Amino acid sequence: MNKNSRSNKLVTNLISGREYIDSGMNSARPHERPTALDRMLTPLHRWIWRDTERRIHKLLRFGETETDGGRDILRASELTSDPLLRRLYLEHAIDEFRHGVLFRHRAAALLKVSASQRHSGFQGDWLAPGGHGLDDLQVDRESDTDMLAFLHLSEKAAASRFTVYRDVMEHDLPTRAVFEEILHDETFHMGYTLTQLARVEPRRHKHHLWRARFSRLWKAYLRLATGFAGIVGSIVLTIQYFVLLPPFAWLAKRAERRETPGWSVAPLDGSASLDRQY
Amino acid sequence: MNILGISAHYHDSAAALLVDGVPVCAVQEERLSRHKGDSAFPLLAIESCLEHAGIEPDELDAVVFYERPLLKFDRILTSALRAFPHSWRAFPKAMKNSLGEKVWMRGIISSHLSVPGRKILFTEHHQSHAAAAFLTAPTHRAAIMTADAVGEWATFSVGYGERGRNGPTTIRRFREIRFPHSLGMLYSTFTAYLGFKVNEDEYKVMGLAAYGRPTLVEQVRKLIRRTPDGGFALDLDYFEFHTSARRSYSSRFVELFGSPRNPYDPIDVDTAEGRRFADCAASVQRVLEDTLVEIARALHDETGLPDLCLGGGVALNGVANARLLAESGFERVFVPPAPGDAGCAIGAALYADRVHFGNPDRDVPDHPFWGPSVDGSELARLAREDGHCSEECLDDTLIPQVAADLASDRIVGWMDGALEFGPRALGHRCILAAPHTIETRDRLNREIKYREPFRPFAPVVPIDVAGRYFNIPPAGTRLARFMSGVFPVRPEWRSQLQAITHVDGTARVQALEPEMAPRLHALLVAYGERTGIPVLLNTSFNLAGEPIVNRAIEGYSTFLRCNIDVLVAGGTRVTKRKSAMARTQLDKVKEEVA
Repeated sequence: MNKNSRSNKLVTNLISGREYIDSGMNSARPHERPTALDRMLTPLHRWIWRDTERRIHKLLRFGETETDGGRDILRASELTSDPLLRRLYLEHAIDEFRHGVLFRHRAAALLKVSASQRHSGFQGDWLAPGGHGLDDLQVDRESDTDMLAFLHLSEKAAASRFTVYRDVMEHDLPTRAVFEEILHDETFHMGYTLTQLARVEPRRHKHHLWRARFSRLWKAYLRLATGFAGIVGSIVLTIQYFVLLPPFAWLAKRAERRETPGWSVAPLDGSASLDRQY
Repeated sequence: MNILGISAHYHDSAAALLVDGVPVCAVQEERLSRHKGDSAFPLLAIESCLEHAGIEPDELDAVVFYERPLLKFDRILTSALRAFPHSWRAFPKAMKNSLGEKVWMRGIISSHLSVPGRKILFTEHHQSHAAAAFLTAPTHRAAIMTADAVGEWATFSVGYGERGRNGPTTIRRFREIRFPHSLGMLYSTFTAYLGFKVNEDEYKVMGLAAYGRPTLVEQVRKLIRRTPDGGFALDLDYFEFHTSARRSYSSRFVELFGSPRNPYDPIDVDTAEGRRFADCAASVQRVLEDTLVEIARALHDETGLPDLCLGGGVALNGVANARLLAESGFERVFVPPAPGDAGCAIGAALYADRVHFGNPDRDVPDHPFWGPSVDGSELARLAREDGHCSEECLDDTLIPQVAADLASDRIVGWMDGALEFGPRALGHRCILAAPHTIETRDRLNREIKYREPFRPFAPVVPIDVAGRYFNIPPAGTRLARFMSGVFPVRPEWRSQLQAITHVDGTARVQALEPEMAPRLHALLVAYGERTGIPVLLNTSFNLAGEPIVNRAIEGYSTFLRCNIDVLVAGGTRVTKRKSAMARTQLDKVKEEVA
């Protein structure tokens, strides 16, 4: 794959070379204006990205997200009946896979120089945009129009966020260059998704965009609510663990001490009814 | 009688359908959902099975889940209690994971399929493995050995099975080793330590082992000791998998073996660090093999049976399987094409049919092709739309043409008939190449599979000439049927079979009978006539991190994303040569966007 070998070369350049960074860095394009919210959160992002461990962790997460997103878009390319969209989705998927490689390579390079190769401390995971793939999008169930509208907004949001990340990365030029490179691709992705949406649904493409915006909001709410419920659940279970379990733990440990290592007699096959779940 | 078997929620979920005691369809969810190792409830696989047989869910007589969910929950809860208070981090995760969905299987199956709860049955995990191994094998009496990471409590079991011709079936497990003592977990712990993905990349450890020497066997034996009764036990001080969801090995393990590998650093076996990892892999591989051989030898002495059926994920270890055949005393060793958890779907259904319902024994067709079929005309349409060269022709034209492609070092994506069930591409969803040079292997690793250079490729050869190129014992062809054994390449052929000869001079060979995959067999013969060596490199048709392709479109999109030169689906052959029109259309869009 040409792009893949290109990406490998690029990664090498990114890590060692400065010329590339200097040449592309100052060309601020209109789409690279972060949203007001992202601009507001810049100090937080600056704090998160300053720490090498957190940076590695986030780059790895982005690598996963981009790769998962690539798989979703690849799936969309396999499902669409529109030949042109199939080709465009395929190109897009290849770009996403390449972004995954860029993120992973950069994280690996940072890992090499990082003193401790451990991930610890606050990771800000659940704040990471996208989670896995395209916000858990059910690609098999989406129409082309919904897919295009969703992709357009996702790319736009990613471009806005990545612009902030790039801007707060003055202290780490190779990582900054990774974001710069990816932002360049986002231009094409944002553009083609919008033009194709207008082609596929000339009259109602704005309606689809609005629907996709609401859908993204709803999914963001669900993610937040699920994350919050998960935290509450973990707290409740941890309290139960320390309050209710000690006597049972004592019994379980006592029973374990009586067990002899090695073979145990297997339950007689056919004796236990298959109706039972235990 | 229609019986649906289901495996789900750990890794690699699947569904299998039995009609009147014979499998008619079996498919892994990942092949349809396109998520590698998909562990979700296999709705797509179930739909595919029912559609294939043309039956509705209410026509099912039973739905069999491959393990007992509450018994598994018992193990998870007890393990957390035993590890108290060190399990405090893992406990909330484990409870949320189990209580969210996994323990409510009867309700989940019932609601998804609208079948009454009384029709839903549960086998034990190792019972399913044992049934999948024994009831699909062409033998009527055999010893059975199952080994994997963990099911409910059992991690390893031995027993025997007997099938009366058109009569009753008996499967009896004599004894089992219970969690946390597990050969599979030992191997998986090394898989994680070596920077690979657990439950997915164990075969990489096996591949890497050939580059190392088993210099650390004594250290590995500190982790696993043989018990006086002939079983084994792990020294849990070296492990954390039973107390933590974060890491499977402890700091004592790291003290013993050194720092773990960074998964993002490539392994270079020419460096000291790379050799250390290879030695670790070789050492755990050796201990695994020794343990399996010793237990199997004792089982052979106990049963006096000539046949052994192997099940569970550990049975995917082809090097160990070949040693079992050579050293355990069994004359024949049977490994099904899907010995892992996916295969439990078929095992659970067969167990319910033969043992629970007491239906008479039936021979199960001896092939792995239980999935959906590929449509060559779909590929022709796609290629036409995108301006690639495609031709549809009969086999007497197509096969010589593909043989010529391969002989001129072209790499071919090969899709034919029904999809394989199990992790191996055994002739219907393959990437084929000439096996002669190292350059081909490196090209495949670098430009097509995008994977580590140390990993070997497998050959496929017609069964009648397999012995000429590979040192396969007579009973070894059975293991080689489903690529389940690793055997030496004959020294005199190694220089001409460089792409498939591993660094230790072996290969995980597939010996192909013409009845199993007639078109691939014909291709091998045609290739042999052209080059003098009827052997081809055969690797699964997928890219790294993706499941094996199923439909023509998936093969086609894979073909476009890597450097495969020729794609064949059914009678359609496509080569990558874009027409001017296709390029213009895409470029036009790009220009507009720019």
